[in-house]
Amino acid sequence: MNIRYGIYLDKLVKRFGLTTAIDSLTLAVEPGLLHGVIGPDGAGKTTLLRLMAGLLRPAGGTITFTANGENADFEHVRPQLAYMPSRQSLYPDLSIEEHLEFFKSLYQLAPDVYRERASRLLGITRLERFRGRKVGQLSGGMYKKVGLMCALLRSPAVLLLDEPTNGVDPISRREFWELLYQLSGEHILILISTAYMDEAERCSRVHLLDSGRCIASGEPAQVLAGEKVQSFDELWMKRA
Amino acid sequence: MKLIGGFVPFRALAVARKEFMHVMRDPFTIAMAVGVPVILVIVFGFAIDFDFRGIRMAVYDHDDSRLSRQLSEGFSSSGYFTVIDGRSPGAPVTEIEDGTAAAALVINPGFEKKIARGESAPVQVIVDGSDNQKTGVVGGYISGIQKAMTVKLAGAPAYEPIAMRSRFVYNPELNTQWFIVPGLIVIVTGLLSILLTALTVAREWENGSMEMLLSTPVTPLEIIAGKILPYVGLGLLGITFVYVIARMVFSVPFKGSYVVFFAACLLFTTTSLAQGLLISVVTRQQQKAMQASMMSGLLPSMLLSGFIFPIESMPVFFQYLTMILPPRWFMIIIRTLFLKGTPVEGLAVPFFALTLMTVILITVAVRKFKRDVEP
Repeated sequence: MNIRYGIYLDKLVKRFGLTTAIDSLTLAVEPGLLHGVIGPDGAGKTTLLRLMAGLLRPAGGTITFTANGENADFEHVRPQLAYMPSRQSLYPDLSIEEHLEFFKSLYQLAPDVYRERASRLLGITRLERFRGRKVGQLSGGMYKKVGLMCALLRSPAVLLLDEPTNGVDPISRREFWELLYQLSGEHILILISTAYMDEAERCSRVHLLDSGRCIASGEPAQVLAGEKVQSFDELWMKRA
Repeated sequence: MKLIGGFVPFRALAVARKEFMHVMRDPFTIAMAVGVPVILVIVFGFAIDFDFRGIRMAVYDHDDSRLSRQLSEGFSSSGYFTVIDGRSPGAPVTEIEDGTAAAALVINPGFEKKIARGESAPVQVIVDGSDNQKTGVVGGYISGIQKAMTVKLAGAPAYEPIAMRSRFVYNPELNTQWFIVPGLIVIVTGLLSILLTALTVAREWENGSMEMLLSTPVTPLEIIAGKILPYVGLGLLGITFVYVIARMVFSVPFKGSYVVFFAACLLFTTTSLAQGLLISVVTRQQQKAMQASMMSGLLPSMLLSGFIFPIESMPVFFQYLTMILPPRWFMIIIRTLFLKGTPVEGLAVPFFALTLMTVILITVAVRKFKRDVEP
């Protein structure tokens, strides 16, 4: 029953006016892993995730989704795909619970399924006692967790997270990663983008993005060895 | 990519429910929805009056006879004029120039004698022509008083070549409020629906939530339907408010059918909502959406709908221009329903025009509403 999705990009191009945000990008996002798209600000991370989520149209190249190794139409993947934007995208005047109920209705979840998932999510994010609080009054870390909960409520098979830990304190960031580890497994493909180099080592696969190009891809240790450096910080310093 | 991926009423309702929560929690929206009708009714209902009363008139009575005094009393007892003594030794225009009077009446010596002899006795009336609106009305008063005073001072003429008797139907006393207040329904609905819808969708873009929404299964049509539903309610509430004020406070008659009235209100509200939607889909920013709503919503409905300025007296180009403005058609329907009560067939053209515009606006808005975040 469980389908394993993969995403394959081939010579993907995206331009905004004269700026080329994604420049002939070829990338394999293999099924069932926790992938990290690592790159400095302006590398094209957000554009890449938006292209994958179907929110932008490529100017050239292709994005191919696979389901159990076979090519799949995006419209078939869309219901299984959840995306969390990097920008603030929640409603400050609605509470956590009201957000969950709103997204429950959009995903058309059955009441018992919703109850079970909501209480599990509120449990692992430890936001249970804040469920009645307005999202505009939450801390940065809690806010990101609510965004993640809204995306996870539909139990996606593909989860695209755009800089979910940006602007979050170190302790909340660690919590967030623990949450991602709990979620990751055989049946979910997680792609997370980040500008924090230390987070690269937490991923099972990293894709280094710079100026819209993929400069290295693979397991973190392999990438470091290939570039002959000790850490990702060092790698970027060397390149700069 | 498909434009509209189906329509699930349940999801549209979820959007509507969320939108309703926003409305109830946003003091600005509530203030707009309640405040705009109240302010408009106060300004236009009470302040605007085309009946001018107590117009100051300087009287230069050079005859100083019984009949000449009766003539100036005729002006003051009409209620339209407040008579003051012309004291300027120079020209009678002085009072008009320095602003103490808006009109002057000059009665020449020998006025009484001429009337007694059965001759025509010329009397000069000078009116400040700097305010066209006022001058036109005052001209009407003067000729009315002239006729009445002729009969009073010289007796009814034995023979009247053309006996013209006018009677005004629908609004016999030409009551300004009867004319203005029903028209406010058009202004209030148009403004509220256009502005509030434009703001709500633009807000969704501005605070980034549209990006999240578009990545869920909800379709553009569901978002649109859900977003406008609460504002249809607000718009109808505004209409009810103006209706009650018109009937209770200003005693405006209502001769038409309530079913037609309700249908017309619903139709026009939808037209306006579609217009607001189109604005927000194109601008995607609250500030711009607000300006565009004012320009395309408030100005045409105030100036080009026939609300105050008659369309017939506009240059030909503007007469044609008003045809593509929904408020013009709704104004006809509303005034007809309140004052005339024509059966539906008489309103077929305005109804058809509004329906056509609604269909066009919604089609364009839905087409422009893309399921992506392309700039």
